Amino acid sequence: MHKVLNREIKELITTYPEVGRVLEEYGIGCVPCSVGSCLLKDVVGIHNLDLQKEATLMYRLEKAIYPDRKISEPVVDMTRKSEPKKITYSPPVKKLVDEHVLIKRLLALIPSIVEFTESSLRVDKNLILGCVDFIRTYADKYHHMKEEDILFKYVDDKAEIIQVMFKDHDTGRGHVRQVVEGAEKGNKAQIKEHLLAYRELLTQHIKKEDEILYPWIDRQLSTTQVGEMFRKCSEADASVGDELPKKYEKFIIELEEKLLQEVTK
Amino acid sequence: MSGCPGSKTIDFSEKTNQEGSETGKRPSQLRQWPIQMHLVSPMAPYFQGKDILLAADCTAFAFGEFHKDYLKGKSIAIACPKLDSDQEVYVEKIKALIDDAKINTLSVMIMQVPCCFGLAQIVKDGAEKASRKIPVKQIVVGLEGNILSEEWI
Repeated sequence: MHKVLNREIKELITTYPEVGRVLEEYGIGCVPCSVGSCLLKDVVGIHNLDLQKEATLMYRLEKAIYPDRKISEPVVDMTRKSEPKKITYSPPVKKLVDEHVLIKRLLALIPSIVEFTESSLRVDKNLILGCVDFIRTYADKYHHMKEEDILFKYVDDKAEIIQVMFKDHDTGRGHVRQVVEGAEKGNKAQIKEHLLAYRELLTQHIKKEDEILYPWIDRQLSTTQVGEMFRKCSEADASVGDELPKKYEKFIIELEEKLLQEVTK
Repeated sequence: MSGCPGSKTIDFSEKTNQEGSETGKRPSQLRQWPIQMHLVSPMAPYFQGKDILLAADCTAFAFGEFHKDYLKGKSIAIACPKLDSDQEVYVEKIKALIDDAKINTLSVMIMQVPCCFGLAQIVKDGAEKASRKIPVKQIVVGLEGNILSEEWI
């Protein structure tokens, strides 16, 4: 089993589909991951499962890989209810979680933007490029750069899980380039394809960060590191000024109002 | 049973489940003097840019691993929100620690009794008055020396 723990999760799921089913049962969403290069030991460790739950998960995984092997089932105290773990964040990480909220508000609007674009005579270039500006400036420059330049530096940024996050950021930037090209050419299909792909990517990405990655990083931070990271993030925010987040919050509010008006027309 | 939970008599001398090892010396992690909140100066060199522990007087007696788990690597001030006088001075000192001494973080360690939460309130008041913002953590110690909660506030 020791060797298996050091194998990449995608390869394990492909070879032993039961592994994917067991992971899904435990709320570990590796099956749809496009990269899947995390090692099994990291996948299990990063989810911070209850000790009993982890023991049964490991038993089930081992049985899925070696069905003929004699493995003793872990003794689980069924009278002991495992408490659902409440996620708490340190202040600098909480700030990043809060920034996700505005990004998720744009993601929620994407189907309406696509519908509006498809039903319009011509592509509303200002609308599409306004969204692109939000993504590039608020989501990418303001938010993702703090992750890449500050947060991820507190863990091994060569770790697979961090590399997956970097890859998501890059894939997102690729979709945005395609959306811009679509807007320039007036190509509605191109805009639709890449806006929806961006939405799907970022929805999963943010969920992974809020529920798995950020708590995992937080658990490793010392009090001193939390203070230091808080200062670095505050300095990064100060370098762009207070107006930037206010400007993009206003953009989202106005976009929500505009699309609501379109729906009720 | 009635009266103030902070001064109610409780005897747990019968408690026998004293786990842990008594072997080896446990060096003090204290790196400064003085420590009482009225006596310390926010401008003392040992506060500058540091992680600070503001501990309610009783916590170090209640929690067995106080030095190793919480004092190590930090500068400290101690206070009692129930018995100390002139506590408005404490609010100003917290503000000065954040703004002038530019401390990195502030952890406030209190007992579970209701009056002890007054110390956490002093910290919140001082932090709100400060122009700099820093992470503040609250640690609550149970009467029998267990950590009941530890969270950023």
